[in-house]
Amino acid sequence: MKNFYRKVAFGLGPEDKIPSDPLDWATSQLNDIPEYSWKGKILSEKELRNYYRDYVYGDRKVLRKKFKNDKEGYKREKNKLRHATGQKFWWNLELCIRYSEALKSETPVLAKLWYFWGNHFAISEKDFLAQYTTGAYQREIIRANMNQNFEKMAQEATKGWSMIHHLDNEQNIGPKSQSAKWAREKGRKVGVNENHARELLELHTVSPNCGYSQDDVIQMAFIMSGWRPEWGKKRLETGDVHFDPDAHQPGSKIVLGKKYKSGRKGLSNAITDLVNHPSCREFIAMKLCRYLITDNPTQEMMEPIIKAWEKSDGFLPEVHKAVIEVAFNYSDQFNKFQNPENWLLQMSKMADVDLIPSPAFMDLYKIGTKPIRDQRALEYLMDELGQHPYLAKQPNGWSDISEDWMSPELLIRRLVYAREAYYKKSGNSQTKEFYEEMIEKNYDNPGEILKIIGQHRELVHKHVILFNLPETLRS
Amino acid sequence: MRISRRNFLKGSATTLFLAGFNFSVLANTSKKKNLVVIMLRGGMDGLCAVPIIGDRNFEKRRKDLILDKTIKLNSDFALHPKLKNFHNLWQNNLGAIVHATNIPYTKRSHFDGQNLMETGGHIPYAIKTGWLGRGMKLAELKGDGLALALPMPLLLRGIPSNDNFFPSKKRLPRTELLQLLKSIYAEKSEHDLANMMEIIANRSMMNNGGTSMSRKNSSLALKAGLELKKINGPRVAVFEVDGFDTHAAQGGVNGSHSDSLIEMDSIFKSLEKGLGSEIENTLVLTLTEFGRTIEQNGGRGTEHGYGSAIFMVGGLLKQSQVYSDWPGLKKKELFEGRDLNSTIDARSVYASAMSTVFDIDFKRIQKEVFWGDDLQNLSDKLFKV
Repeated sequence: MKNFYRKVAFGLGPEDKIPSDPLDWATSQLNDIPEYSWKGKILSEKELRNYYRDYVYGDRKVLRKKFKNDKEGYKREKNKLRHATGQKFWWNLELCIRYSEALKSETPVLAKLWYFWGNHFAISEKDFLAQYTTGAYQREIIRANMNQNFEKMAQEATKGWSMIHHLDNEQNIGPKSQSAKWAREKGRKVGVNENHARELLELHTVSPNCGYSQDDVIQMAFIMSGWRPEWGKKRLETGDVHFDPDAHQPGSKIVLGKKYKSGRKGLSNAITDLVNHPSCREFIAMKLCRYLITDNPTQEMMEPIIKAWEKSDGFLPEVHKAVIEVAFNYSDQFNKFQNPENWLLQMSKMADVDLIPSPAFMDLYKIGTKPIRDQRALEYLMDELGQHPYLAKQPNGWSDISEDWMSPELLIRRLVYAREAYYKKSGNSQTKEFYEEMIEKNYDNPGEILKIIGQHRELVHKHVILFNLPETLRS
Repeated sequence: MRISRRNFLKGSATTLFLAGFNFSVLANTSKKKNLVVIMLRGGMDGLCAVPIIGDRNFEKRRKDLILDKTIKLNSDFALHPKLKNFHNLWQNNLGAIVHATNIPYTKRSHFDGQNLMETGGHIPYAIKTGWLGRGMKLAELKGDGLALALPMPLLLRGIPSNDNFFPSKKRLPRTELLQLLKSIYAEKSEHDLANMMEIIANRSMMNNGGTSMSRKNSSLALKAGLELKKINGPRVAVFEVDGFDTHAAQGGVNGSHSDSLIEMDSIFKSLEKGLGSEIENTLVLTLTEFGRTIEQNGGRGTEHGYGSAIFMVGGLLKQSQVYSDWPGLKKKELFEGRDLNSTIDARSVYASAMSTVFDIDFKRIQKEVFWGDDLQNLSDKLFKV
């Protein structure tokens, strides 16, 4: 049963008391969205998007023109521009905020689910979104909506600047729209871009299981045409998302047999129908089980989550409680192979690893300067482990399938970074007694584990073995 | 543009008849032969990489994406001008192309498509092994696979003990510790983990004590070429190139699709360098989930399509050629009126390649790797048998 603490959160740290009622300990973390545990500076998505604006404008509109015959000069000035807009720093600050929720908050269960949703509505590697806005998007649109209905999260994620830009919806122009006519008069060809519409159906809501057709995708794209950042000479593509009727495909559209009128309300109405489609709750129940419990969720596992969804109209705290309860009931039968990020956080929490730089240290950063190496430690580390949360390769985010995290090189990363982590522990946690207590608290077979790690004398080796035991890799 | 379907079929009638007979079982098995697969993720635009010459339908539908100064390959097809290494190989009979081909998947989702290009199956996520892994299993090539990536690609799964290489910047813990973990994994029936630990503890090639090595595909390919060259080295290698999903700013010669093609081209070059004369006994193939629409979209990019092309490199090729049953680009010839059609099941090419490199009867591969699906044996048309 003790693997439950690791399964739905990151285990129990040295300061944590053993909960008298584990299920209640977990589910009581899911009602509200507390303030961030990070006590340093936190920027809004809008502020960060403005830095991104300054970067793209400075690069595209100023430097490329000014230095068109001077490659070296361009390189030098572009580097200055990167620092002037904090390109190397902000995403490290975001990682500090993100990981504080796992390690320093009273709500690690909420944090683990936050990472799930951030990955469900993933902003994958594109342009420099990761360096500027992805972290803030995950806070303001994903985390902030974890005490709301799924629909609200889906509406806001879909119309959020990050998603619209990431999935090219600004290029989705109705072929019969006014904008398309103007473009044709100028000899330019414009038309529908299906990318965002397809992912809304496939990844974010109903999934291919619901049986939509290519026609549905195109009709959905027509509904979405015109949703784009407000263009400005200085803002370029970084303006707030608005509905531009000139770019919208006129006429009604039909998606999954349902008719939607032309205009700005079409998208909201379509999302409402998508999130209420049975395939949507089945898909998300399956994904939640796969994230926390097993690669191959059973119908019995998914059933209570689907029920909770139906009863609460997709109210996320109720959906979350249902999945946590299922995880609790199955905790002795199933162990889930932990992805690198969750594994690292588990190790950091239980072994008291000083993973996150302090707020005071991060706040020393001055815009325009090059961040110091230790301020960038988390960015390097996540990249090395193979799972930087803002750099998923594709819009389907990072995988929840165990095998995708198994390879000799990935195992090597766990070995070498377990060792690195040991040296980031405070002196008073580098004792035999500390490990005995931690193992007692977090594992169901402490005797066996102590015997295994007892085969090595040095504590650092015990540490590396412990965090690479099957009992730790799978929780 | 002279190529047409009718001509093609006439030209290949006799060989189609012969395809039923299998000669590869008689092949010389004493040489170590290598197979390399480069996965091109995002949907490689076969018509950007290998454009058709003189087709007005094509030029009209993509007017902002037509490339300047393409390299003419034959009377019908040209090559993207930045694929210089491939062109050199082509000139030495070490490069060929299969055009208007794809896996039998037409739904245009990257994720489903990439899953199927790796499993070789028909239903997304239904198969948990890759066609290459299953082919290796049939050939009993346990421990002979090498992925040049941090995770283990699905393509190689299906046979245990594959290795991968993606250099770490830190040093490994001491050997006794690795051995202890290995024995614990074995005791606890964690066979995959035990296998991996065995590989980690025993491999000499790649733990060069934390000296940082580049992770660029061109550097990895050089390393892979040197490993494949060794008589007891791996026999199969897999690469990944991302970034082919160019919905916007696909651009011309210097656009974003070109960047990914150039990365692919750099792998060809480094492999050739690393392999040295063993390029003669090697076959390199590309693999993608789908091609892209003929028509450019609103953002000077292209949408997800169907038919694409396969690049092939190495001395096991029969000759330089663009092998195609060209379907044409008139509206009615397109798949669903929008995409280049696929007239050759790409899996026929991969099955034939495995038959050639692994010296296994094509029919066995067809039956045991691809469930007896209707595939053509193209070995004698494409490869040295």
